[in-house]
Amino acid sequence: MSRYKDAVYGLCLGFLRNRADAEDLTHDAFIRAYDNLRRYHLDKRFSTWIFTIAANLCRNRLRYRRNHPVVEPPTHLAGGTDPANIIAKEDRQKRVQDSLNSLPYAYRAPLVLRFYNDLSYREIGEILAIPEGTVKTRIHRAKAMLKGLIEKDVMQHETG
Amino acid sequence: MRPDEIEEVLRDTLRHEVAEATPRLADLEERIVAELGDRLPRLRFVDWMRSLVASTQSGRVGQLAVLGATAAVFLIVGMVITQDRSGGSILTPTFAPTVASHTSQEVLFVVPALDAERVAVVGDFNAWEETPLSDENEDGIWTASIPLDPGRYEYAFVIDGRWWGQDPSADEYVRTFGQYSSVRYVGGGGDGV
Repeated sequence: MSRYKDAVYGLCLGFLRNRADAEDLTHDAFIRAYDNLRRYHLDKRFSTWIFTIAANLCRNRLRYRRNHPVVEPPTHLAGGTDPANIIAKEDRQKRVQDSLNSLPYAYRAPLVLRFYNDLSYREIGEILAIPEGTVKTRIHRAKAMLKGLIEKDVMQHETG
Repeated sequence: MRPDEIEEVLRDTLRHEVAEATPRLADLEERIVAELGDRLPRLRFVDWMRSLVASTQSGRVGQLAVLGATAAVFLIVGMVITQDRSGGSILTPTFAPTVASHTSQEVLFVVPALDAERVAVVGDFNAWEETPLSDENEDGIWTASIPLDPGRYEYAFVIDGRWWGQDPSADEYVRTFGQYSSVRYVGGGGDGV
């Protein structure tokens, strides 16, 4: 598989939490990369460059969504929904997915770039146009928020 | 839940989501290549892509087809990176060596070869001896910057021992003894690179 395709798609999916949008924007990111090739410098990693394009597209799409809300039924991106059929790992993944959906974009984006795209703090800062220190802080807080959301979900599941 | 456990489950979850979507992405390269190919009919884009796949000898045809398509996208990337031309000079090079400056300039050769172990460029500027391209950050984009005086140059890439004569960033192609080579015009009154 192409490393770029999966990496860009994973970024878009992580940022947007919507498969159709992620697919559209992966396509658009590669086309946009072509359209903006003259801005690409070889001293920059190609991956960082295309991730920046994808991240900007995602941010614009999220802004558009905010101004043009569409009521969609809540869906899980993976796994079954019947607790009887869910193995522990899938159950845990579903909880993470739900929690990721609830996490604000400003915290979700660096988390995805760090733990899906395996990027350094510096690269994440470059892509999201924020200082490296802010990246570290947001990732730290995002993990704490995610942990809180997951634990809350577990408690609700157990008491409900 | 421990902090490192959060990281692990986050990685697992995101990778799982992408893996689940893989079938939906099967034709993504084709769509991208088709759209870009339509914009660049001069380059015989799809033919190039097919040649990339067909020339591969290994049995991983399906995987390489995907890689080939993706590589085609990135060859376009490489192509435009190397272009620093104005007007219609790509189609109608008007190189005029007698009036050109004789100052050599760095000419960038770029080729994506995602799985390659060794990439080189050969041409009349190096007596058809291999000048290696490098991929220092291992992103599959191989480059070499070679100082060339203004002039017309024939060249080809050699990727893991295979001849790649049709560089889409070339100004034109020539066929000699049944084999294509690319031609690049350097300098010469603002034409070429």
